[in-house]
Amino acid sequence: MIPSKKRKLDSETDDYISDCIKAVLPDDLSKDTPLVEVYVDEVSDRRNISKAVVAINSAFPVQELLHLKRVRNGKLLLFPKSVCELSEVHQFLMKKGFDTSLLTNNVEVALVAKLPPKLKNQYEKVNKLWPCNFHSNKYLERLVTNNLFDENEMQLHKICMKIAIDVAQYAGNKYNSKNVGAIVFDPKLKSVVAIGYDCTNKNPCKHATMVAIDNVAVTQNGGAWDKREEVIVNGLNTSGLPKDFEFLKDKYAKTISFGCRLSDHTDNKCRVSEESSYLCTNYYAYVTHEPCVMCAMALVHSRISRVFFGVKSRIGGLCTLCKTQTIKDLNHHYEVFCGLLEQECINL
Amino acid sequence: MQSSSNNVVNCNELSESEKHYMEIAFTYAQDALRNQEVPVGCIFVYNNEIVAKGRNTVNETRNATRHAEMNCIDDVIAYCEDRNIVSKEVFENVSVYVTVEPCIMCAAALYNLKIKQILFGCRNDRFGGQTVFDVANVLNPVTDVKGGYRADEAMALLKEFYKGTNPSAPPNKVKIKNI
Ligand SMILES: [Zn+2]
Ligand SMILES: [Zn+2]
Repeated sequence: MIPSKKRKLDSETDDYISDCIKAVLPDDLSKDTPLVEVYVDEVSDRRNISKAVVAINSAFPVQELLHLKRVRNGKLLLFPKSVCELSEVHQFLMKKGFDTSLLTNNVEVALVAKLPPKLKNQYEKVNKLWPCNFHSNKYLERLVTNNLFDENEMQLHKICMKIAIDVAQYAGNKYNSKNVGAIVFDPKLKSVVAIGYDCTNKNPCKHATMVAIDNVAVTQNGGAWDKREEVIVNGLNTSGLPKDFEFLKDKYAKTISFGCRLSDHTDNKCRVSEESSYLCTNYYAYVTHEPCVMCAMALVHSRISRVFFGVKSRIGGLCTLCKTQTIKDLNHHYEVFCGLLEQECINL
Repeated sequence: MQSSSNNVVNCNELSESEKHYMEIAFTYAQDALRNQEVPVGCIFVYNNEIVAKGRNTVNETRNATRHAEMNCIDDVIAYCEDRNIVSKEVFENVSVYVTVEPCIMCAAALYNLKIKQILFGCRNDRFGGQTVFDVANVLNPVTDVKGGYRADEAMALLKEFYKGTNPSAPPNKVKIKNI
């Protein structure tokens, strides 16, 4: 959790209560590095250690364990235990052309890191088991320690979530629907591209996230549920914002803009310029409640880059039931942060 | 993949009308291909009546979630509004015929609606709601899911599409056999 410093926000945001945000991590960052069993044996004469390392590296290079040092305290890492029975280890080495007289023939099983550790704390644990190479990644360290965002960025995240909360409240009252709100945000422009709110009383699939995604499509001259004319305000296309939500523009005008970059209309096919957007690429989504599995996968299809949500949901697909955004075989993954204005979202 | 091998449909198990419905779904997949959309076709059948039919409209709508199944769900909503009936009961008695295994998103949507059964053609190795990630493990659906009918044809349509537009991302090898 990041406890931010003294709250010093402007008037429209001074009702913030909670200010914690937490990255939802994929398993390879939230768990210890997996381990694997290997055979080790002592080098009989310590003066032969470097010779033994060269010999074992050429006789038995282990591609999947290249992150491990080959020797520790005079002991040589031979190969994974899965290769053969303990009693057959020396026979096996001989067959591979390794001079077994270099070893004492006291073969033991050792537990070592199966994969290269990704984080410093993972490294420290596995390095104690068996020495291991490690390249620290500053971005990942900041991500896992929840130090990714500075004070200004945090303030912007909160404003975005505050808008999602306003959307949830306004739509909930006006359309007598669930108080769930979503916005899609262009972090480069610092601009709200589209909003969405729960319409499940009309259509069970119209979750706030799905509606927001469709409103992004509206800004790209598409959209399945709503068709709106392109509205250009201050050089931005605000068609992702339904008319009755224009009050948001006035309320947040001081801090944030509304609309997305214009696309090129060079011909009828509406070629999209390099500058303009494709689906939700490079956009962030802010959703008051953890999106469900359907919505989580919809955000994968839409190639969103980050998702922030306030409160976890019983049917959530980002951390509660599963982490859809981390499924290895999918062609797109996004980062997820939870707990943004959590109490305000709970209060909805 | 293991969990899915037990629901491979045997051609002999299908009634003539089920084969007929699947044939209609295929015509929508072909229509998608003609319109430069990912060739997936789908129909929803309720009490022996086709209440929704559709195909992918992702490129047309610039919305990556407009899969055939999602379009059909909207059709059912409209069908129910027209007739002033409750959509929940309709969904719970719908059979879905779709040429490709529903993706994770569509599988979640169909399971949440408590759809009665799904019959699909080929596996979806890129996004499949069983093959890539088994949504049933987290949503505990009541829906009966079977696949593999005319899988080779369904896959051939997908290959045809990816050959023309996006050679870098073809759906790779079909893992189950069409019986
Ligand atoms: Zn949802
Ligand atoms: Zn789908």
